[in-house]
This record gives sequence, C-alpha cells and structure tokens, in this order.
Amino acid sequence: MSEFTRKFYQDFIQDNRWHFITDGLKITLLVTLLALLIGTLIGIVVGIVRCAHDQQTKNELRGVKGSILKALNLICKVYVTIIRGTPALVQLLIMYFVILVTARSKVFVAVLTFGINSGAYVAEIFRGGIMSIDKGQMEAGRSLGLSYVQTMYKIILPQAFKAVLPSLVNEFISLLKETSICGYIGLNELTRGGDIIRGTTFDAMLPLFTVAIIYLTLVLLIQGVAGRVEKRLRKSDVR
Amino acid sequence: MISVRDLHKSFGDNEVLRGINYEIDKGEKIVIIGASGSGKSTFLRCLNLLETPTSGSIFVEGEEITAPGADVNRIRQKMGMVFQHFNLFANLSIMDNITLAPVMLGLQSKEEAKENALRLLQRVGLTEKADAYPAQLSGGQKQRIAIVRSLAMNPEVMLFDEPTSALDPEMVGEVLEVMRELADSGMTMVVVTHEMGFAREVASKVLFVDEGIIKEENTPQEFFANPKDARLQEFLSKVL
Repeated sequence: MSEFTRKFYQDFIQDNRWHFITDGLKITLLVTLLALLIGTLIGIVVGIVRCAHDQQTKNELRGVKGSILKALNLICKVYVTIIRGTPALVQLLIMYFVILVTARSKVFVAVLTFGINSGAYVAEIFRGGIMSIDKGQMEAGRSLGLSYVQTMYKIILPQAFKAVLPSLVNEFISLLKETSICGYIGLNELTRGGDIIRGTTFDAMLPLFTVAIIYLTLVLLIQGVAGRVEKRLRKSDVR
Repeated sequence: MISVRDLHKSFGDNEVLRGINYEIDKGEKIVIIGASGSGKSTFLRCLNLLETPTSGSIFVEGEEITAPGADVNRIRQKMGMVFQHFNLFANLSIMDNITLAPVMLGLQSKEEAKENALRLLQRVGLTEKADAYPAQLSGGQKQRIAIVRSLAMNPEVMLFDEPTSALDPEMVGEVLEVMRELADSGMTMVVVTHEMGFAREVASKVLFVDEGIIKEENTPQEFFANPKDARLQEFLSKVL
C-alpha cells in the first residue's frame, strides 16, 4: 500500500472518519444559508432606513413620523458601528458565553451571530447602492405622484440591487468562509471536522487540503450562479 | 389655476427665491427665462414641491399645496414634469416607463394604460420603441418618451425644466415640435428654457427671473421688442 493510500484510508475510511467532513459541511452550509437569509433581511431594512433618513429634508424630519425615523436611523447607525467595529469571533464568543448562555443549540447561536454580523455589512452595501442611483430617478417617480415607498420598490431598489450584486456576492463568500470560526464554540463545522481528523490521525495535509478544496468549490459555485444572475439583470443595459 | 404668493426658498444661507408672486390661468403657456443661478428652475421645482418652499404659499385650483398635511402625491398626479436629464426609469422598458404610474396608482387598468401609451407613442412617432430600454434611445427620443410618460397621467398642467438643454443640437427640434403640438392642444404649460424662438412663438407670457424675483413679465412681442429691465436688456443682448 502506498503512503498516500494508507493515509487516505486512515484519514477518511477508517472508523468512518469521512463523516467529520460531510457532517461538518452540512453544518457549514446550514449556518451560512440561514445567516445569509437573516443578514439580507436585516441589511435591506437597515440600509433603507439609513437612506430614507438621509434623503429627507430637514422639514420632512419634523413631526411624529420624522422623529420615529430619526430614532430608527440612530439605532441602525449604532448597530452598524458596533458590529463592524468588533471582530466576528469576539461577537460569537460574547453571544455564546454571555448573551445566549442558556441556548441549547450551537447552530442557533452561530446562525444568529453571523446573521446579525452579515446584516451590518449588507446594510452598508445596500445603502451605497441606493445612494449611487441618480436622484433624478426618485424625482421622476415622485413627480408622477408615486410615493417614496412605491418609487423605492419599483425603481430604486431594482437598480440598486443590480449595482450591488458583486459586493453582495463578495459578502456572501466572506460569510461562508467566516463560519469556520464556529469551532471556537465547539460547533463541528467543516473546518473543525477536518481539524478533528488531523488531531486523531496526526496527518495534517490531507484533511486540511480536503477542507480547503471544498470551500474553494463552494465559492466557485456561488460565483457561477452570481455570474448568471448578473447577466440576466443586465438586460436593460443593452445598447 | 396656479397661484404663487410671496414664495421664498433658501438653501442654507443662500436665498435663491426672494418673494415670487404669480398667477397662471388655465391654458396659458408661461415661458421662464433667466441666467443660470437666477432661481428659475428652483421656482419651477417648487410648483410641484420637488423643492419645499421656505415660506410663502402655492395654490393649485384653489387648494393650498404648501399647507401642512396637503396630499402632495395626489396633487402631483395632475402636474406632469419633464426634466433636463429625462430621468426615464433605467430598469424599465419604454412601455413600463409610461404605464407604471397610472397602473400603480389605480387610475387605469393595465390594458387601458397600454392602449393609452400606444396612442401617445404614435403621437410622438416612437411606437416601435415600446419594448426598448432607455439606454437604447437617443437623447431626443428619451425626452419625447419622458413627455409621453407625463402625459399618460392626463395632467392638468405640464412643467418643463430646461427640456432641451442636455440634447445634441440636431435633436432639439424634435422635442420642441412635440411641445408645440402639446401647446396647440390647449395644455397649460410652464417652461424653463433657453430656446428664445420657442418663447417667441409659443408663449402666452414670458417671465424674466433674476436674483430670485420676477424682474419682468410680458407678452412675447413686447418682452423681446421692448425689454424694460436693464438686466433683461443685458441678458437678451447676450443670448439673441
């Protein structure tokens, strides 16, 4: 038996160790997808609140509605500042050891942490996207009698989404890879799965390379899908 | 139809409008001229509240649109606006650009809006562009579509904010032609422009806005033949 096959057998076949990789991959995908969902929802809402606030005139910010918007804007600003200002790992540890001490599911803690974390970045991406749309688009919508929300929904957001898609994909790829820190709270995701094999068999190369290749494959998949979506969205750019 | 009383507008410390008073009757074609920075565009944009006046009041058909709590969105449905940079919705086809507002606001069914849009497109000779996107059109075509988009709302009055200033010279004519036809059809129009020929031929009144007030107001014949204000004389000597 060659050295490679012997190690391969030891790392993956013996005692069904490949389960560490496949189970880890499942956890990684689950945490990433759910966090992505939460992060996008938070991001869109926070991004719109920030823009809605910045696009109103001082006059429009008076009154009850204006005060509510001002308060929401402040909350969103603080949220983005704190999340962007601290490492995701610290957030994860605080969430697990301080805030959600009684939580039974580590997956739940991870999903919530990464969802909240990603939301801050997605919010800034969306804010940038919305702000980059020519203000004439909003004026044209309003001049026809459409409300701010109607114009936002039908005109601004579709254009902003197209503009921010590459940044969003970037954020999603970061999110996928960042879930590898879940090992710190003892969640057996993909990276930790590979690392457990390394610790058992004392062979570092094969399990870690396997883990790396799986991440790379996932990223390539995401890129492929994003490329197709971008192509479809570019329909209105044809000249 | 539109009544403007002591309209003021400041941007920070910069007072752009310093007390404008004016009455526009139904069917009138008001052309506003003035140097850049004179406040003429700001005045026009105050009429449909794209700019919020600092003080003063504007009445449209007897309703004070500057009153707190006035339903701005409903008032704007009756006031079409055409912009210097067209501002067609970049993500929508020409047909959707035209039908979006009437359908979304529940004024017309999808079918009605489509029929109406095709009729209007025919009027400006752009029927074959219904399924195109704005990026595929020339400037002149975009502006004609922008006019059609406003007309699809069946407005009582049309506001034009330098509609030909961003166009290549050879495309100015096609847009002015559409505006002329619109004027002939009896539409009430307020036009900010540098096209003196258009002012002369189409306007019922020409206004000269300078330093945030209306310095001179007259019929086009008198306005161009016997300008009284010194600044207007200077301005006309430069542009004519």
